[in-house]
This record gives sequence, structure tokens and C-alpha cells, in this order.
Amino acid sequence: MIRPFELAAVALALGLGILGARMLDAGLLFLACEVLTLFIMAQMWNLLAGYGGQVSLGHQVFVGIGVYALFLTANATTLPLWLVLAGVPFAVALAAIPLGMVMFHLKAAYFAVGMWVVAEIVQQIAYKMPFVRGTAGLVLRPGGQSIQGYPEQIVFVIALVAAVGLMVALRVFLRTRAGLATLALRDNEGAARAAGVNVQRLHLILFCVTAGGCAGAGALYYITTLYVTPNDAFQLNWIVAMMVVTVIGGTGTLAGPVLGVAILIGLREGMTAAGFSGDQYWIVMGLLSVAVLLVSPRGLWPTLAGIFRKG
Amino acid sequence: MSLLALNGVTRRFGALTAVDAVDLVLDAGECVGVIGPNGAGKSTLLALMVGDQRPNAGRLTLDGRDITRLAVHERVRAGIARAAQIPQTFASLSVLDSVRLPALYGAGLSDRAARDWVDEVLALCGLADKAQATAGALGLLDRKRLELAKALAARPRVLLLDEIAAGLTEPEVDTMVALVQGLREGRAILWVEHIPMALRAACERLIVMDRGAKTLDGPFAQVWSDPGLQAVYMGVPADAAA
Repeated sequence: MIRPFELAAVALALGLGILGARMLDAGLLFLACEVLTLFIMAQMWNLLAGYGGQVSLGHQVFVGIGVYALFLTANATTLPLWLVLAGVPFAVALAAIPLGMVMFHLKAAYFAVGMWVVAEIVQQIAYKMPFVRGTAGLVLRPGGQSIQGYPEQIVFVIALVAAVGLMVALRVFLRTRAGLATLALRDNEGAARAAGVNVQRLHLILFCVTAGGCAGAGALYYITTLYVTPNDAFQLNWIVAMMVVTVIGGTGTLAGPVLGVAILIGLREGMTAAGFSGDQYWIVMGLLSVAVLLVSPRGLWPTLAGIFRKG
Repeated sequence: MSLLALNGVTRRFGALTAVDAVDLVLDAGECVGVIGPNGAGKSTLLALMVGDQRPNAGRLTLDGRDITRLAVHERVRAGIARAAQIPQTFASLSVLDSVRLPALYGAGLSDRAARDWVDEVLALCGLADKAQATAGALGLLDRKRLELAKALAARPRVLLLDEIAAGLTEPEVDTMVALVQGLREGRAILWVEHIPMALRAACERLIVMDRGAKTLDGPFAQVWSDPGLQAVYMGVPADAAA
């Protein structure tokens, strides 16, 4: 089961999180929260696409649903914000079951595009809902009260523990029999089926877990902004970031998204510091992903790990 | 009662009838060879048995239970496994894990029981010393062995072998034949192969397929000397060959 150093890693994350929340300034904390939540989303997409072989172009829908589930529930009730946050992944994972059962009738590219369509539809519906308040946006006011202080401090601790905990949980999972089935699924879906694995059910489980994970990470991220619009929560940028990070870092490897997020955010911050404006880093990122796909189709991590092993 | 029975099983791909109203019965303990020219429908027949393909007509029963509608993974669990013509390996898994998967899911064993069973299967298939090797790095013979080991690990009562000796050298074929002979107890084996000597050594019953239909089925020697067999392969009418 869980190994001592994995447990130590989670404990260390908690310690560093608490320490970091006290030491780091607000801007750095905000950046760290973004990095960590983006990593969780990318790892989720990697789990579904890289391991499960189900490429989704619509997982931003779960980010948006997660955010609105948190904002609407927290604003309308007196439940503690962090309790609502803890419930969001589970609620969205459950809600994803019927969606998955319908969407899995579509195969491969049809599934990918179908998910995108679902995300667009849900975004349009969200616009029309009076309580979402459309482009006017929604402010996070748990129980009708404004948040005091900096939520980044708590968000940072949660996000760091969640990110490290996710890595540990996935490592533990991949050692179980369901994990073995997942690894087999990544390598050869037909052969996994022929070995007796219920591939459809495994796909559904991965779909729901990754939906819940994206929802939780989205909800966590928007606690730091305290404000959300459908345009923002359901934006295509989320899924693009998840994909680019995974593809560049290493599809179907646990370390890939770590590397990918580091490259994406490093590039963005570096270019911004160098005076390039706005979204120009996406151009470089796009070129980089094309280059990586040509040179090392499974991403940078497997290639780097190979060099280390040889050297 | 027969173990596996096919009744009027038909599979069409557009205008082509790949398998045409095949009736077939397999009993426990028998090893049955299947031969026929390319395109005769042998692989499609096996695909219909494991569930990769669904028949357009006809039904399949296992121990009297209708399995026509069962999905692939359900049929493995019910007791039908196939070693495919092109080895279906898990490139990044070890040989041990590749065989452990069907032992856990196909045979439904516990972790502990699977461990012993996998060791046994690997030893039987001559892969014991390669247990830790990565499946994707194996040579052809070992990949063929692994394909057989994966099918065997699911503890099938009906074992389907699709050209597991194709592409092997003669001594390697002999190894495969010896291996298959050791597997027949308590199960039915259906072996599709283009190497007559391999089937002759392992099977006591022979089925000939041609253009989707089962044209001959009987004791090996009898079918082997049947003029109909020559007709299928040489393209001469049966009466002319006789």
C-alpha cells in the first residue's frame, strides 16, 4: 500500500504549505495557487487521456461546473466554505456518471469533439441562468458575507497538499489491480479487454474521477479570485492548458504534467518579465508543443528519463 | 453436454459473408485443428467466439448458456480465451504483469492465488527467466509465448489459438506443439494454423473451412485424406480429385 516516503511527502507538503503561506507575499502565493491548481487539472486530463486513452476536449466544463457549484452553494447557505469545497469534487464526479454513460457511445475523435460541444452547451446554459448573473459575474460571499483577509493562504496549503496527495494517490493506485488494468489500458485497449478487464467501466470511473478533480481544482482556483463569469470559468484556455502541459511534459506519465506546468508557467512569467505582452507566450508554447510532438511524441519526460537511465 | 456450441453462426461484412452458417461443437479434452485458405473465415470465426465480432445470425452457447450477447471481457470470465495471431502485448508492462492481468481479471483470482498461478503459467510457457523483462522488448518467439501465456492465465475452458506457430522455426514449432499438448486436459482447444505438421502432432480432429463455410469436420486422418480437402487447396472439383 502507501509507502513511508510517500506519507512523508504529504506531511512535508503540509508543513511547507503552512510555512509558505506565512512567508510568501500575496502575489507569489497567487501564482503558486494557479500553478498547483493547473497541475491538478493537467494530471486529471493525463489520467483520462494519457492512461485511459479517452481524449476529451471538453473538461473545462467540469472546471466551470465546479466553480459555480462552490460559489452558488457557499453564497446561498451558511455551510463553511471549505466544507462546500470538499464536497464539490464528489458531487461533480457523481453528476458526471450519466454524462459519461451517454458520451461513451461516441468513440475516439467523436468523443473528444462531443465533449467540446457539451462544454459549449453548458456554458450557454450557464449564461441564461438568472442566478449565474451572466457577464455581470458572481462574487464569492459565503453565507452572504464578504471574505476577510487573504484566502490565498489557505488555498495554497490545500492546493499544495492536494497536488502532492494526488501524485501519491496515483502512485498507490497504479500499484493496485485496478491500476494494473489502467496501465494495460494505456498500452493496448483490446488486449486489456481480452484479459477480462471491463474497459467501459474503467473508462467511466476515470471519466468521473477526472471530472471531480477538475471541478475541485477549478473551485479552489476561483477562491483566490473571489469573482467568476461563465466566460472565464468555462473558457477553452483551461482545456488547452491541460492538454499542452500534458503533451509537452509527457503523456501517460505521472511526472509529465509536473514538467509541463513548470515549462508553461516558467515561459509565461519569463516572457512577461522580458516585456512580451499578454498572451504571446501561447505562440511559443504552441510552437514548442509541435516541436516536442515531432521529436518526442510521448512528451519530454520519457525522453529525459531515458537519457538519465543511459547516462 | 458439449462445452462450446455454435449454431448457424453467420457474420457478413457488406456483401462478403466471412462466416457462413457454421455449426460447431467443442468438447472438453479435445484438440481441434482448423485449416483453410487465406480468407476462409478462420480468424473471423475465432473473433466471433471471443466476442470481438457479433454474429449477424446464429447463436453461441457455453455449457448450455447463451453467450451470443456477452461482451469480450464477460466471455473471458466465462471461460473463452484466445491467443491472437498478432501478439497483443502491453509494451510497457513486464512479462509478469502482462500475465498477472488476465489471472486477476479473466480468471478472477485473488492477488495471492494469482501470484502462484502466474509463476506456473510462466514456467509452462518457458518465460520464467523473462518474468521481469519488458513485454515490448521481447523477440517474436517470446511474444508468441507471452500471447499464449496471457490466454492461458485466464484459465479458459475453451482455448483458441490463432496461428501461434506462424513465423517460427521448426524446432520452435515443436516446442509450441509440446506446449499445446500439455494444455488439453479439462479444456477444449481450437487451433487455427497453416502448418499441417503442427496440427497433425497436436490434434485428433480437423476442421476445414472454405469461403466462410465449414466444409469438412472429422477425425484428423480421415479429413486429411479427404478429396474435398485437396479440392479446397488445389482448386479442383472434389470429384475430379477423387
